[in-house]
Amino acid sequence: MRTDMERGKILIVDDSEMNRAILTDILQDEYDIIEARDGLEAIDVLSKDGDSIVLMLLDIVMPRMDGFSVLSKMNENNWIQNIPVIIISSENASLYVERAYELGALDYIQRPFDTLVVRRRSLNTITLYGKQKAMDGVAESQLARNSADKSVVINIYNNLLVHGDVNKGSHTENVAAVCEAILNNLGGISFKYKLSPADIQNITIASTLHDIGMSVVDKSVMTDDGERSESERRKHARLGAEILSKLPDSDSDPLLKRAIEICRYHHERWDGSGYPEGLTGDRTPIAAQVVAVADVYDALTNKKLNPDAITHDEAIAKIMNGECGAFNPVLMIVLKTIADTLPAKLK
Amino acid sequence: MTVENFYEYIRGDYVGTKARLMTDERILRFVNKFPADGSYRLLLDSIASSNVEEAFRAAHTIKGVAQNLGFTALYLSSQEVTEILRGGSLDVADKMPELTKCYELTIDGINKLNA
Repeated sequence: MRTDMERGKILIVDDSEMNRAILTDILQDEYDIIEARDGLEAIDVLSKDGDSIVLMLLDIVMPRMDGFSVLSKMNENNWIQNIPVIIISSENASLYVERAYELGALDYIQRPFDTLVVRRRSLNTITLYGKQKAMDGVAESQLARNSADKSVVINIYNNLLVHGDVNKGSHTENVAAVCEAILNNLGGISFKYKLSPADIQNITIASTLHDIGMSVVDKSVMTDDGERSESERRKHARLGAEILSKLPDSDSDPLLKRAIEICRYHHERWDGSGYPEGLTGDRTPIAAQVVAVADVYDALTNKKLNPDAITHDEAIAKIMNGECGAFNPVLMIVLKTIADTLPAKLK
Repeated sequence: MTVENFYEYIRGDYVGTKARLMTDERILRFVNKFPADGSYRLLLDSIASSNVEEAFRAAHTIKGVAQNLGFTALYLSSQEVTEILRGGSLDVADKMPELTKCYELTIDGINKLNA
Protein backbone atom coordinates (compact mmCIF):
# COMPACT_ATOMS: atom_id res chain seq x y z
CA MET A 1 0.00 0.00 0.00
CA ARG A 2 1.12 3.50 -0.71
CA THR A 3 1.46 5.80 2.24
CA ASP A 4 0.16 9.34 2.09
CA MET A 5 3.67 10.61 1.54
CA GLU A 6 4.12 8.51 -1.59
CA ARG A 7 0.78 9.17 -3.23
CA GLY A 8 1.29 10.01 -6.87
CA LYS A 9 -0.61 12.89 -8.45
CA ILE A 10 -2.91 12.71 -11.42
CA LEU A 11 -3.39 15.88 -13.44
CA ILE A 12 -6.89 16.18 -14.90
CA VAL A 13 -7.15 18.73 -17.70
CA ASP A 14 -10.69 19.55 -18.85
CA ASP A 15 -12.56 22.82 -19.27
CA SER A 16 -15.77 21.33 -17.90
CA GLU A 17 -15.98 21.30 -14.13
CA MET A 18 -18.48 18.45 -14.38
CA ASN A 19 -16.08 16.29 -16.32
CA ARG A 20 -13.24 17.03 -13.90
CA ALA A 21 -15.51 16.24 -10.96
CA ILE A 22 -16.47 12.87 -12.43
CA LEU A 23 -12.87 11.87 -13.11
CA THR A 24 -11.75 13.12 -9.71
CA ASP A 25 -14.48 11.09 -8.06
CA ILE A 26 -13.34 7.94 -9.86
CA LEU A 27 -9.64 8.29 -9.05
CA GLN A 28 -9.30 10.19 -5.80
CA ASP A 29 -9.24 7.10 -3.56
CA GLU A 30 -5.82 6.06 -4.84
CA TYR A 31 -4.29 9.31 -6.05
CA ASP A 32 -4.05 12.99 -5.29
CA ILE A 33 -5.79 14.96 -8.00
CA ILE A 34 -4.69 18.26 -9.51
CA GLU A 35 -7.18 19.94 -11.83
CA ALA A 36 -6.45 22.30 -14.70
CA ARG A 37 -9.15 24.12 -16.65
CA ASP A 38 -7.30 24.49 -19.94
CA GLY A 39 -4.00 23.81 -21.65
CA LEU A 40 -2.23 26.86 -20.27
CA GLU A 41 -3.05 25.89 -16.70
CA ALA A 42 -1.87 22.36 -17.44
CA ILE A 43 1.50 23.58 -18.75
CA ASP A 44 1.84 25.76 -15.68
CA VAL A 45 1.25 22.77 -13.38
CA LEU A 46 3.65 20.60 -15.38
CA SER A 47 6.44 23.16 -15.24
CA LYS A 48 6.10 23.57 -11.48
CA ASP A 49 5.08 20.12 -10.32
CA GLY A 50 5.83 17.81 -13.28
CA ASP A 51 8.05 15.44 -11.29
CA SER A 52 5.29 14.35 -8.95
CA ILE A 53 2.71 13.70 -11.67
CA VAL A 54 2.25 10.04 -12.51
CA LEU A 55 -0.50 10.45 -15.09
CA MET A 56 -2.26 13.15 -17.06
CA LEU A 57 -5.85 12.84 -18.29
CA LEU A 58 -6.27 15.32 -21.12
CA ASP A 59 -9.31 16.71 -22.92
CA ILE A 60 -8.89 17.91 -26.51
CA VAL A 61 -11.36 20.76 -27.05
CA MET A 62 -10.57 23.50 -24.54
CA PRO A 63 -10.36 27.32 -24.58
CA ARG A 64 -7.03 29.22 -24.64
CA MET A 65 -4.91 26.13 -25.35
CA ASP A 66 -6.27 22.82 -26.59
CA GLY A 67 -5.10 19.27 -25.85
CA PHE A 68 -3.07 18.92 -29.05
CA SER A 69 -1.11 22.07 -28.20
CA VAL A 70 -0.47 20.69 -24.72
CA LEU A 71 0.97 17.50 -26.26
CA SER A 72 3.13 19.55 -28.67
CA LYS A 73 4.46 21.63 -25.80
CA MET A 74 5.21 18.47 -23.80
CA ASN A 75 7.20 17.17 -26.77
CA GLU A 76 9.09 20.45 -27.04
CA ASN A 77 10.03 20.33 -23.36
CA ASN A 78 10.81 16.59 -23.35
CA TRP A 79 8.10 16.01 -20.73
CA ILE A 80 6.21 13.49 -22.82
CA GLN A 81 8.81 10.78 -22.05
CA ASN A 82 8.25 11.12 -18.32
CA ILE A 83 4.55 11.77 -17.97
CA PRO A 84 2.08 9.32 -19.49
CA VAL A 85 -0.95 10.96 -21.11
CA ILE A 86 -4.40 9.48 -21.64
CA ILE A 87 -6.75 11.48 -23.85
CA ILE A 88 -10.38 11.56 -22.77
CA SER A 89 -12.59 13.03 -25.45
CA SER A 90 -16.01 12.73 -26.99
CA GLU A 91 -14.33 13.20 -30.36
CA ASN A 92 -14.18 9.88 -32.12
CA ALA A 93 -13.02 10.98 -35.58
CA SER A 94 -9.99 8.86 -36.45
CA LEU A 95 -8.14 12.04 -37.41
CA TYR A 96 -8.30 13.20 -33.78
CA VAL A 97 -7.35 9.84 -32.36
CA GLU A 98 -4.45 9.40 -34.76
CA ARG A 99 -3.09 12.89 -34.12
CA ALA A 100 -3.21 12.35 -30.36
CA TYR A 101 -1.23 9.11 -30.67
CA GLU A 102 1.25 10.72 -33.04
CA LEU A 103 1.88 13.45 -30.48
CA GLY A 104 2.73 10.86 -27.86
CA ALA A 105 -0.55 10.15 -26.03
CA LEU A 106 -0.47 6.58 -24.70
CA ASP A 107 -4.17 5.90 -24.70
CA TYR A 108 -7.44 7.37 -25.95
CA ILE A 109 -10.66 6.95 -24.01
CA GLN A 110 -13.90 8.01 -25.67
CA ARG A 111 -16.91 9.44 -23.90
CA PRO A 112 -19.17 8.28 -22.53
CA PHE A 113 -16.65 6.45 -20.45
CA ASP A 114 -17.10 3.60 -18.10
CA THR A 115 -15.94 4.26 -14.53
CA LEU A 116 -14.23 0.89 -14.35
CA VAL A 117 -12.46 1.35 -17.67
CA VAL A 118 -11.09 4.78 -16.74
CA ARG A 119 -9.89 3.46 -13.40
CA ARG A 120 -8.32 0.31 -14.82
CA ARG A 121 -6.65 2.01 -17.77
CA SER A 122 -5.32 4.78 -15.53
CA LEU A 123 -3.92 2.35 -12.97
CA ASN A 124 -2.45 0.09 -15.67
CA THR A 125 -0.76 2.99 -17.40
CA ILE A 126 0.74 4.23 -14.14
CA THR A 127 1.94 0.73 -13.20
CA LEU A 128 3.48 0.01 -16.61
CA TYR A 129 5.18 3.38 -16.68
CA GLY A 130 6.52 2.90 -13.18
CA LYS A 131 7.88 -0.53 -14.12
CA GLN A 132 9.51 0.89 -17.23
CA LYS A 133 11.22 3.55 -15.15
CA ALA A 134 12.40 0.96 -12.63
CA MET A 135 13.79 -1.10 -15.53
CA ASP A 136 15.64 1.94 -16.82
CA GLY A 137 17.16 2.30 -13.37
CA VAL A 138 18.29 -1.34 -13.38
CA ALA A 139 19.83 -0.93 -16.83
CA GLU A 140 21.66 2.17 -15.65
CA SER A 141 23.16 0.51 -12.57
CA GLN A 142 24.10 -2.46 -14.76
CA LEU A 143 25.94 -0.03 -17.01
CA ALA A 144 27.74 1.44 -14.03
CA ARG A 145 28.75 -2.03 -12.80
CA ASN A 146 30.02 -3.05 -16.24
CA SER A 147 32.05 0.13 -16.40
CA ALA A 148 33.52 -0.48 -12.97
CA ASP A 149 34.56 -4.00 -14.04
CA LYS A 150 36.07 -2.59 -17.20
CA SER A 151 38.08 0.05 -15.38
CA VAL A 152 39.63 -2.52 -13.02
CA VAL A 153 40.90 -4.59 -15.94
CA ILE A 154 42.09 -1.54 -17.84
CA ASN A 155 43.97 -0.33 -14.78
CA ILE A 156 45.84 -3.61 -14.30
CA TYR A 157 47.01 -3.87 -17.93
CA ASN A 158 47.78 -0.20 -18.10
CA ASN A 159 49.97 -0.19 -15.01
CA LEU A 160 51.76 -3.29 -16.18
CA LEU A 161 52.48 -1.73 -19.58
CA VAL A 162 53.35 1.79 -18.50
CA HIS A 163 55.14 1.11 -15.24
CA GLY A 164 56.03 -2.54 -15.58
CA ASP A 165 54.31 -3.13 -12.25
CA VAL A 166 50.64 -3.74 -11.50
CA ASN A 167 50.99 -2.02 -8.13
CA LYS A 168 52.23 1.33 -9.43
CA GLY A 169 48.78 2.36 -10.38
CA SER A 170 48.08 5.17 -7.98
CA HIS A 171 48.79 7.80 -10.65
CA THR A 172 46.27 6.50 -13.18
CA GLU A 173 43.69 5.95 -10.45
CA ASN A 174 44.24 9.45 -9.11
CA VAL A 175 43.99 11.01 -12.56
CA ALA A 176 40.68 9.21 -13.04
CA ALA A 177 39.42 10.39 -9.63
CA VAL A 178 40.34 14.02 -10.33
CA CYS A 179 38.84 13.82 -13.84
CA GLU A 180 35.60 12.46 -12.47
CA ALA A 181 35.40 15.19 -9.84
CA ILE A 182 36.03 17.91 -12.45
CA LEU A 183 33.56 16.43 -14.95
CA ASN A 184 30.81 16.02 -12.36
CA ASN A 185 31.05 19.72 -11.54
CA LEU A 186 31.68 21.09 -15.01
CA GLY A 187 28.01 21.08 -16.04
CA GLY A 188 27.10 23.22 -13.03
CA ILE A 189 29.57 25.91 -14.06
CA SER A 190 29.35 25.96 -17.84
CA PHE A 191 26.68 24.86 -20.32
CA LYS A 192 29.25 24.78 -23.09
CA TYR A 193 30.30 21.16 -22.75
CA LYS A 194 27.22 18.98 -22.86
CA LEU A 195 28.42 15.77 -21.25
CA SER A 196 25.97 13.00 -20.38
CA PRO A 197 26.54 10.68 -17.39
CA ALA A 198 27.72 8.07 -19.91
CA ASP A 199 30.21 10.57 -21.41
CA ILE A 200 31.56 11.34 -17.94
CA GLN A 201 31.92 7.65 -17.20
CA ASN A 202 33.73 6.99 -20.48
CA ILE A 203 36.12 9.92 -20.09
CA THR A 204 36.89 8.91 -16.51
CA ILE A 205 37.74 5.34 -17.50
CA ALA A 206 39.58 6.43 -20.66
CA SER A 207 41.68 8.87 -18.63
CA THR A 208 43.54 5.93 -17.06
CA LEU A 209 44.99 5.19 -20.51
CA HIS A 210 46.51 8.64 -21.04
CA ASP A 211 50.13 7.42 -20.81
CA ILE A 212 49.66 4.09 -22.60
CA GLY A 213 52.06 5.36 -25.30
CA MET A 214 54.88 5.28 -22.73
CA SER A 215 54.90 1.50 -23.09
CA VAL A 216 56.33 1.79 -26.60
CA VAL A 217 58.70 4.75 -26.41
CA ASP A 218 62.31 3.79 -26.72
CA LYS A 219 63.34 3.17 -23.11
CA SER A 220 67.05 3.08 -24.01
CA VAL A 221 67.12 6.85 -24.55
CA MET A 222 64.94 7.62 -21.56
CA THR A 223 67.62 7.20 -18.96
CA ASP A 224 69.66 10.30 -19.59
CA ASP A 225 68.09 13.66 -18.81
CA GLY A 226 69.06 15.37 -22.04
CA GLU A 227 67.08 16.90 -24.90
CA ARG A 228 66.95 13.61 -26.77
CA SER A 229 65.24 11.98 -23.84
CA GLU A 230 62.62 14.73 -23.66
CA SER A 231 61.81 14.58 -27.38
CA GLU A 232 61.56 10.80 -27.16
CA ARG A 233 59.31 11.05 -24.13
CA ARG A 234 57.00 13.48 -25.91
CA LYS A 235 56.33 10.85 -28.56
CA HIS A 236 54.19 8.92 -26.09
CA ALA A 237 51.19 11.13 -26.86
CA ARG A 238 50.98 10.30 -30.57
CA LEU A 239 52.14 6.72 -30.02
CA GLY A 240 49.40 6.06 -27.47
CA ALA A 241 46.76 7.32 -29.87
CA GLU A 242 48.24 5.18 -32.66
CA ILE A 243 48.19 2.00 -30.58
CA LEU A 244 44.55 2.50 -29.66
CA SER A 245 43.55 3.51 -33.20
CA LYS A 246 44.60 0.10 -34.41
CA LEU A 247 42.12 -1.65 -32.14
CA PRO A 248 38.88 -2.92 -33.69
CA ASP A 249 35.94 -0.50 -33.23
CA SER A 250 38.33 2.35 -32.43
CA ASP A 251 36.28 4.67 -34.64
CA SER A 252 32.93 3.71 -33.13
CA ASP A 253 33.47 2.67 -29.51
CA PRO A 254 32.78 5.76 -27.37
CA LEU A 255 35.27 4.74 -24.68
CA LEU A 256 38.06 4.10 -27.19
CA LYS A 257 37.32 7.31 -29.06
CA ARG A 258 37.72 9.27 -25.82
CA ALA A 259 40.89 7.37 -24.95
CA ILE A 260 42.46 8.20 -28.32
CA GLU A 261 41.67 11.92 -27.89
CA ILE A 262 43.08 11.85 -24.40
CA CYS A 263 46.33 10.08 -25.36
CA ARG A 264 47.02 12.41 -28.24
CA TYR A 265 46.09 15.72 -26.66
CA HIS A 266 46.65 15.50 -22.91
CA HIS A 267 49.81 17.60 -23.15
CA GLU A 268 48.23 20.42 -25.13
CA ARG A 269 47.81 23.78 -23.37
CA TRP A 270 45.10 26.45 -23.68
CA ASP A 271 47.53 29.01 -25.16
CA GLY A 272 48.95 26.61 -27.76
CA SER A 273 52.22 26.04 -25.92
CA GLY A 274 51.66 22.30 -25.47
CA TYR A 275 52.46 19.29 -27.64
CA PRO A 276 52.22 17.40 -29.98
CA GLU A 277 50.04 19.70 -32.11
CA GLY A 278 50.21 23.03 -30.24
CA LEU A 279 46.40 23.28 -30.31
CA THR A 280 44.79 26.32 -28.68
CA GLY A 281 41.59 26.67 -26.63
CA ASP A 282 38.75 24.29 -27.29
CA ARG A 283 40.46 22.89 -30.37
CA THR A 284 41.76 20.45 -27.81
CA PRO A 285 38.91 18.05 -26.96
CA ILE A 286 37.46 18.73 -23.52
CA ALA A 287 38.27 15.18 -22.36
CA ALA A 288 41.98 15.78 -22.99
CA GLN A 289 41.83 19.23 -21.35
CA VAL A 290 40.41 17.72 -18.19
CA VAL A 291 42.98 14.92 -18.14
CA ALA A 292 45.76 17.49 -18.61
CA VAL A 293 44.71 19.26 -15.41
CA ALA A 294 44.31 16.00 -13.49
CA ASP A 295 47.66 14.68 -14.78
CA VAL A 296 49.54 17.80 -13.71
CA TYR A 297 47.85 17.88 -10.32
CA ASP A 298 48.74 14.28 -9.48
CA ALA A 299 52.27 14.59 -10.90
CA LEU A 300 52.82 17.49 -8.48
CA THR A 301 51.32 15.89 -5.39
CA ASN A 302 51.82 12.12 -5.77
CA LYS A 303 54.64 11.03 -3.42
CA LYS A 304 54.92 7.58 -5.00
CA LEU A 305 55.58 9.17 -8.36
CA ASN A 306 57.54 12.23 -7.43
CA PRO A 307 60.08 12.33 -4.59
CA ASP A 308 59.84 16.13 -4.60
CA ALA A 309 56.05 16.11 -4.32
CA ILE A 310 54.48 19.30 -3.01
CA THR A 311 51.37 19.76 -0.90
CA HIS A 312 47.83 19.94 -2.22
CA ASP A 313 47.55 23.67 -1.52
CA GLU A 314 50.87 24.41 -3.21
CA ALA A 315 49.88 22.37 -6.25
CA ILE A 316 46.51 24.09 -6.65
CA ALA A 317 48.20 27.49 -6.34
CA LYS A 318 50.84 26.53 -8.92
CA ILE A 319 48.25 25.34 -11.44
CA MET A 320 46.07 28.42 -10.92
CA ASN A 321 49.09 30.71 -11.37
CA GLY A 322 49.81 29.18 -14.74
CA GLU A 323 53.15 27.75 -13.60
CA CYS A 324 52.27 24.42 -15.24
CA GLY A 325 51.09 25.99 -18.46
CA ALA A 326 47.79 27.65 -19.36
CA PHE A 327 44.54 25.77 -18.86
CA ASN A 328 40.93 26.38 -19.83
CA PRO A 329 39.69 29.17 -17.49
CA VAL A 330 36.41 27.32 -16.98
CA LEU A 331 38.31 24.26 -15.74
CA MET A 332 40.25 26.50 -13.36
CA ILE A 333 36.96 27.71 -11.86
CA VAL A 334 35.83 24.09 -11.47
CA LEU A 335 39.17 23.12 -9.94
CA LYS A 336 38.94 25.96 -7.44
CA THR A 337 35.40 24.85 -6.54
CA ILE A 338 36.31 21.21 -5.93
CA ALA A 339 39.89 21.69 -4.65
CA ASP A 340 39.02 21.00 -1.01
CA THR A 341 37.38 17.68 -1.87
CA LEU A 342 40.35 16.28 -3.82
CA PRO A 343 42.82 15.03 -1.17
CA ALA A 344 40.21 12.63 0.24
CA LYS A 345 39.71 11.06 -3.19
CA LEU A 346 43.37 10.28 -3.84
CA LYS A 347 45.69 7.40 -3.03
CA MET B 1 -38.81 10.19 -7.72
CA THR B 2 -36.12 7.52 -8.01
CA VAL B 3 -33.00 7.93 -10.09
CA GLU B 4 -34.47 5.47 -12.57
CA ASN B 5 -37.72 7.49 -12.82
CA PHE B 6 -35.65 10.64 -13.32
CA TYR B 7 -33.90 9.12 -16.33
CA GLU B 8 -37.25 8.07 -17.80
CA TYR B 9 -38.57 11.61 -17.31
CA ILE B 10 -35.67 13.30 -19.10
CA ARG B 11 -35.48 10.62 -21.83
CA GLY B 12 -32.10 9.39 -20.64
CA ASP B 13 -30.35 6.05 -20.39
CA TYR B 14 -30.47 4.80 -16.82
CA VAL B 15 -29.27 1.26 -17.49
CA GLY B 16 -26.22 2.35 -19.47
CA THR B 17 -25.33 5.09 -16.99
CA LYS B 18 -25.65 2.81 -14.00
CA ALA B 19 -23.39 0.30 -15.75
CA ARG B 20 -20.75 2.95 -16.40
CA LEU B 21 -20.86 4.95 -13.18
CA MET B 22 -21.62 1.94 -10.96
CA THR B 23 -23.81 3.36 -8.22
CA ASP B 24 -26.95 5.50 -7.85
CA GLU B 25 -25.11 7.48 -5.24
CA ARG B 26 -22.39 8.50 -7.68
CA ILE B 27 -24.93 9.24 -10.42
CA LEU B 28 -26.84 11.50 -8.03
CA ARG B 29 -23.72 13.35 -7.04
CA PHE B 30 -22.96 14.26 -10.64
CA VAL B 31 -26.53 14.88 -11.69
CA ASN B 32 -26.82 17.41 -8.88
CA LYS B 33 -23.75 19.25 -10.12
CA PHE B 34 -25.30 19.66 -13.55
CA PRO B 35 -27.41 22.81 -12.88
CA ALA B 36 -24.30 24.69 -11.76
CA ASP B 37 -22.48 24.03 -15.04
CA GLY B 38 -22.40 27.29 -16.97
CA SER B 39 -22.04 25.81 -20.45
CA TYR B 40 -25.68 26.28 -21.47
CA ARG B 41 -25.62 29.95 -20.45
CA LEU B 42 -22.30 30.38 -22.26
CA LEU B 43 -23.72 28.79 -25.39
CA LEU B 44 -26.67 31.24 -25.46
CA ASP B 45 -24.41 34.23 -24.80
CA SER B 46 -21.84 33.18 -27.40
CA ILE B 47 -24.50 32.71 -30.07
CA ALA B 48 -25.94 36.13 -29.16
CA SER B 49 -22.51 37.73 -29.52
CA SER B 50 -21.70 35.72 -32.68
CA ASN B 51 -18.65 34.13 -31.07
CA VAL B 52 -18.74 30.86 -32.97
CA GLU B 53 -15.61 29.34 -31.40
CA GLU B 54 -16.81 29.90 -27.86
CA ALA B 55 -20.27 28.67 -28.84
CA PHE B 56 -18.71 25.51 -30.29
CA ARG B 57 -16.77 24.79 -27.10
CA ALA B 58 -19.85 25.39 -24.93
CA ALA B 59 -22.03 23.09 -27.05
CA HIS B 60 -19.22 20.56 -27.12
CA THR B 61 -19.02 20.59 -23.33
CA ILE B 62 -22.79 20.14 -22.95
CA LYS B 63 -22.55 17.23 -25.36
CA GLY B 64 -19.72 15.60 -23.40
CA VAL B 65 -21.35 16.03 -20.02
CA ALA B 66 -24.74 14.86 -21.28
CA GLN B 67 -23.11 11.85 -22.86
CA ASN B 68 -21.28 10.92 -19.67
CA LEU B 69 -24.37 11.31 -17.51
CA GLY B 70 -26.58 9.43 -19.95
CA PHE B 71 -28.83 12.41 -20.70
CA THR B 72 -29.59 10.94 -24.11
CA ALA B 73 -32.08 13.52 -25.40
CA LEU B 74 -29.86 16.43 -24.41
CA TYR B 75 -26.82 14.64 -25.82
CA LEU B 76 -28.43 14.15 -29.23
CA SER B 77 -29.75 17.71 -29.51
CA SER B 78 -26.46 19.25 -28.38
CA GLN B 79 -24.57 17.06 -30.81
CA GLU B 80 -26.50 18.52 -33.74
CA VAL B 81 -25.74 22.06 -32.58
CA THR B 82 -22.09 21.19 -31.96
CA GLU B 83 -21.59 19.88 -35.49
CA ILE B 84 -23.07 23.02 -37.08
CA LEU B 85 -20.86 25.26 -34.92
CA ARG B 86 -17.80 23.13 -35.58
CA GLY B 87 -18.09 24.03 -39.25
CA GLY B 88 -17.89 27.71 -38.30
CA SER B 89 -21.56 28.46 -38.92
CA LEU B 90 -23.81 30.22 -36.40
CA ASP B 91 -26.88 29.02 -38.26
CA VAL B 92 -28.30 27.05 -35.34
CA ALA B 93 -31.73 28.71 -35.01
CA ASP B 94 -33.46 25.52 -36.24
CA LYS B 95 -31.71 23.29 -33.75
CA MET B 96 -31.57 25.42 -30.63
CA PRO B 97 -35.23 25.08 -29.60
CA GLU B 98 -34.84 21.31 -29.24
CA LEU B 99 -31.64 21.73 -27.22
CA THR B 100 -33.31 24.31 -24.98
CA LYS B 101 -36.34 22.03 -24.51
CA CYS B 102 -34.09 19.10 -23.50
CA TYR B 103 -31.99 21.28 -21.21
CA GLU B 104 -35.02 22.68 -19.40
CA LEU B 105 -36.53 19.22 -19.13
CA THR B 106 -33.31 17.97 -17.52
CA ILE B 107 -33.21 20.85 -15.03
CA ASP B 108 -36.89 20.30 -14.25
CA GLY B 109 -36.20 16.59 -13.72
CA ILE B 110 -33.34 17.32 -11.33
CA ASN B 111 -35.60 19.65 -9.31
CA LYS B 112 -38.24 16.93 -9.11
CA LEU B 113 -35.61 14.34 -8.15
CA ASN B 114 -34.58 16.49 -5.21
CA ALA B 115 -38.09 17.55 -4.20
